[in-house]
Amino acid sequence: MPAALAALVGCGGGKGDEKPLRFWQFWDTAVIEPMIREFEAQNPGIKVEIEQLTWKSGLEKIQAAVASGTQPDLCELGSTWVPRFSYEGVLEDLTPTYTEVADSFIMWESAVWKDRVYGLPWVQGSRALFCNADLFNKAGLDPDRPPETWDELLDAARRIDELPGEVSGFGLNLGERYVLFKKFMAFAWGNGGSVFGSDGRVVFDSPENLQALEFYRELARYSLKEKQEVLDHFFKSGRLGMQISGAWNLKNYAIEAPGLNYRVALVPKPAVDRGEHASFAGAEMLVVFKRSTRKADAVKLARFLQDYPQAKRLCLEVKSVFPASKRVFADTAFVGDGKVRVFVDQSLTSQTAPAHPGWIEMEEAIDRSVEEVMYGRAEPREALRTAAGEIRRIAERFQ
Amino acid sequence: MKDNRHTNRPSVPSLVVLLLPWAVVYGAFFVFPFLFSFVLAFLHYNPLSVHATSWAGLENFTRLFGDERFLRALRNTLLFVVGTVPLTTAAALGIALLLRGRVPAKGVFRAGFFLPSIMSAVVISLLFKLFYAPNGGLNQALSLVGVAGHGWLTDPGTALAGIMVMDVWAAVGYYAIIFDAAFAGIPKEFYEAASLEGAGFKDTLRYVTVPALGPVIAFVVVINTIRSFQIFIEVFVMTQGGPLGATDTLVLYVYEAAFRNLDYGYASALAYAVFVLSGVFSIVAMKRFRPRLGSGGGG
Repeated sequence: MPAALAALVGCGGGKGDEKPLRFWQFWDTAVIEPMIREFEAQNPGIKVEIEQLTWKSGLEKIQAAVASGTQPDLCELGSTWVPRFSYEGVLEDLTPTYTEVADSFIMWESAVWKDRVYGLPWVQGSRALFCNADLFNKAGLDPDRPPETWDELLDAARRIDELPGEVSGFGLNLGERYVLFKKFMAFAWGNGGSVFGSDGRVVFDSPENLQALEFYRELARYSLKEKQEVLDHFFKSGRLGMQISGAWNLKNYAIEAPGLNYRVALVPKPAVDRGEHASFAGAEMLVVFKRSTRKADAVKLARFLQDYPQAKRLCLEVKSVFPASKRVFADTAFVGDGKVRVFVDQSLTSQTAPAHPGWIEMEEAIDRSVEEVMYGRAEPREALRTAAGEIRRIAERFQ
Repeated sequence: MKDNRHTNRPSVPSLVVLLLPWAVVYGAFFVFPFLFSFVLAFLHYNPLSVHATSWAGLENFTRLFGDERFLRALRNTLLFVVGTVPLTTAAALGIALLLRGRVPAKGVFRAGFFLPSIMSAVVISLLFKLFYAPNGGLNQALSLVGVAGHGWLTDPGTALAGIMVMDVWAAVGYYAIIFDAAFAGIPKEFYEAASLEGAGFKDTLRYVTVPALGPVIAFVVVINTIRSFQIFIEVFVMTQGGPLGATDTLVLYVYEAAFRNLDYGYASALAYAVFVLSGVFSIVAMKRFRPRLGSGGGG
C-alpha cells in the first residue's frame, strides 16, 4: 500500500521533470505568463504551471495547501508573512542563494530568521507624501518646496486646514486594519524609534516613539481622520492637503483625477539636523517550500523572476511597485520621472515590518495603541506602554 | 417496498442516486467540517506545522472566559442580535400587513422589498460603506436639513448601529415575503368572526393574526437569530471590527484566530461557542413563539 501511494504521489520519481513546476503568485497571469514562457524556452525540460492567487484569500489557500501537503514549489509571499512561515519551518533555507546575490538587492530584512534567509526579494513599494499643489498655493505655501520637517508639515497642515470650505490639512488613517502602523511608524522610524532594539528586546515604549506619537496626535488636530479609500477620495477631489500613500496612486490619479495638481515628496523628518525621511516599505518575496521535490528548479525560476529585466517588466506593467534590485536606482525608466523617482528614493530610507513570526498579532497591538490615542481614549505614554507589554507577551510565545 | 399503493414513489436505489449529489456536498462541506472542527477544538493545531499538533484538552474552551477580545466580540454580537432580530421581525410583519391592504402596484412593492435579499452581502456592504462615508449619501441628506456631517463608521459610538440599520434594511424584505405568504394561509372565517364580534384592527391583530402566525414568527425569529449570530461579511467589508473594536464580532474573531493567528484549535472552540449560543437563543425563541395549542387557539 505505501509503495502504491508513493508511486501515485511521486509519479515514479525517475522522470520527475515531466511534472510541471508549480508557481503561485498574486499578479495578473497575463503579465506573468510571457516571462514564464521565456523561462521555459531558456530551460528546456522545466514546465511551469502558474496559479494566480487573490489578495483577499490567497493566504488561506497557501495555509490550506501547506497543511495538506499540496503546496506549490515556488510561491510569492508578502513580507509581513514571511517571518511566520520561516519560523514554522516550512520554507527552504535560501541562504546559499542569498550569499551569491545579497549585494544586488534590497529588502532582505523580512526574509531573515535566526541568521538564515528564507526568501528572495522580488518587488517592493514604499509610501511617500502626496501634496495638493492648489491647496498649497491657496494657503500661501510653495508647492515646489513641500514640507521637509515635522514643523513644516504641521504648519502646512494647519494652514490648509484653516482654509475656508470643507478642506482638511492632512489625511490620517483611522477605523481600519493593517494600515495604521505603516503610517505611524514612518514618524517613529524617522525619529530613531523602532519596535525591537538591536538586541531583539521590545522597545516600542521608547522616548523616540513617544515623541513621534505625540507629534502624530498634534498632526491629527488638522487632519481628516478616515479610512484610506475616503482619504483617497478627498485627495482626488481636491479637499485634502496632504496624505502618505503608495505609488499606485500615480496611476490612479492619472485616470480618476487627471486635472489634479499635486506633488510627491519624501516623508518629512523630525528636524533639519535630526532623524531621517523614513517610511514604510513592503516587499513581495519569492519563497521555496521545503517539501518541494523541485527545489533547484524553483530557485532557478525565482532567480530568473527576481533578476532585473523581468522585475522591471512586471513593475512597468503593474505601475504600483518597484524592482527590489538595486539597479532600479540608476534606471531612467524609473528615476527619469520626478514623481516616480521620489518613491525610488524613499525606499532607500524606508523600513519594513520587523521580521518576527508574531508580527501579525503585534501589528494589531500597535494599531490599537495609535487608534486609542487618536480617539482620545489614552495618553501616548500609557498607550505605548500597553502595546509594548502586549508585544512582549506575544514575543514570549515565539521563543 | 411492499406498499405499492403509491406508484409514483421512486424506488430506493433511484432515491439514493437522486440524493447522492446533495449528500456528497452536504457531507463534504457541512458534516465533515462540523465534526473535524469539533476535534480541532481540543487540539493545538497550526496548519503550517501540522506535525506539531498536540492535545489541548479543554484549554481552548477555558481560554474563552479570560479572553478580552472574545468577551468584547460576544458583547457586540449579542447587541447585534438583540438589536436587529426583534426590529426586523416587527418591521417585516408591518410591511406584510401593509401589503395586505389596498396598495396600488403591490407587485412592485413586493419585488422592491425583496430585492436586497437577492443582492450579495458584499455588494450591500460596499454600498452602505459609501452611504455612510463622510461624503456619502447619508451626510448629504442630513446637510439638506442642516445637520452636520459625521464619520458614521469611524465613530466607535455609531459604527455598530450603522451596520445594524443596514442589516435590518437588507433582511426585512425577505421575512416580509414569508409573512405575506403566511397571511394567505389564515382562514378568512377567523377575520369574519372577529369582525362580527366587533374586534377592531388592534384586537384582530392581537387575537387573530399574531396567534395564527405563531409558527411562522417562530421560524423567522429562529433563522434570523442564527443568521445574526453569524454576522461576518458586513463587518469584514465595512469596518474589519474597528474602530477600537466597536464592531468586532464572534465570527470575525473566528476568522482571524484561524487565518491570521493560525490558531485553528482556538478558532474551532470559538466557532462552537457561536454554535451553542445561537442554539440556546433559538430554543428560547422557539419556546416563546411556538403556538400554544389548546390555550385558546383551537377554541
